[in-house]
Amino acid sequence: MYSFFMAFAKWLQGTWWAQDISSSVWAYPWVQMTHYSGLSLWVGTNLALDLRLLGIGKKRQTAAQLSDALFAWNWIGFCIAVCGGFMLFASAATKYIPNPMFEIKLGILVPLGIVLHIINQLKARTWGQTAETPAVAKLSGLIEFLIWFAVITAAISIPNFEA
Amino acid sequence: MLPLCHWLETNSLIVRLDTSIVWSSICEILHYSGFFLVVGSTVIVNLRLLGLAGKKENPSALAEQLVPWMWIGLGMTILSGFILFAGEATDFYLAITFRIKILWILVATIFGAIVFRKTRQWGEMPSVPVGAKLVAFISLVLWVGAILISVEVPAISGVG
Repeated sequence: MYSFFMAFAKWLQGTWWAQDISSSVWAYPWVQMTHYSGLSLWVGTNLALDLRLLGIGKKRQTAAQLSDALFAWNWIGFCIAVCGGFMLFASAATKYIPNPMFEIKLGILVPLGIVLHIINQLKARTWGQTAETPAVAKLSGLIEFLIWFAVITAAISIPNFEA
Repeated sequence: MLPLCHWLETNSLIVRLDTSIVWSSICEILHYSGFFLVVGSTVIVNLRLLGLAGKKENPSALAEQLVPWMWIGLGMTILSGFILFAGEATDFYLAITFRIKILWILVATIFGAIVFRKTRQWGEMPSVPVGAKLVAFISLVLWVGAILISVEVPAISGVG
């Protein structure tokens, strides 16, 4: 499996556009900007919904209303972050594949966070009908909140684990 | 300013924080998380004023819900950002891109604060005024620009 991913990484890193990103002074920051803009929308709105499920902060809107208001741009942010992230990955794919923090981030934490986020978004319609959310909503919101912090921690730790 | 930067860099607490992988990682986590909260919440309110997000929701209710996270995120970003800055204060101070970044974020924060403050008033109107949409658009551009200038600091000046 590892050799398959490594072969894919070598091919991806060798594509003309991946080489353009890694060799250009200007392209790399623009791709980073794309990734971070998407992440700001995705993580920012995820955390806002998790905190509302936890019952922390203002309660002018129910969790159901907030989830509904954030839904479209939450997923637009996700798509932007994935596109930017894929381009960043492509520019140095062979360096990322053997990195344990990258493996933990993309192999475990991100899929876990996405699954729990979808559950929270779907359940917010029933959990979030009133100002006070039930205990299960608080627990689910807390777990998702912690997972996204773990994702950020893993992402920040990637340079510390470079071979 | 340079003697102050030098004093910051050599301050024992800053040196301890800057040389510890754990503490510098915590600062980075807080910096990024705070920034995501600020930009995420501000952009959503800007998009709502522009009629591109949460159309069924009242803009004023949405802004009131998100405003605490904008300020808490900003506090996290500034505090952690100061510690990250202090470790390499002289290099950051001399980097022109870093000065532009700070000025840019200051302007973006002022626009963001105006948007949050005025949305309570604009949101109660039958339709969002054109002036409000213009301010929201400028705020949106400023925050996306803030991300670009932030990543340009290490790319151009080599610090951070």
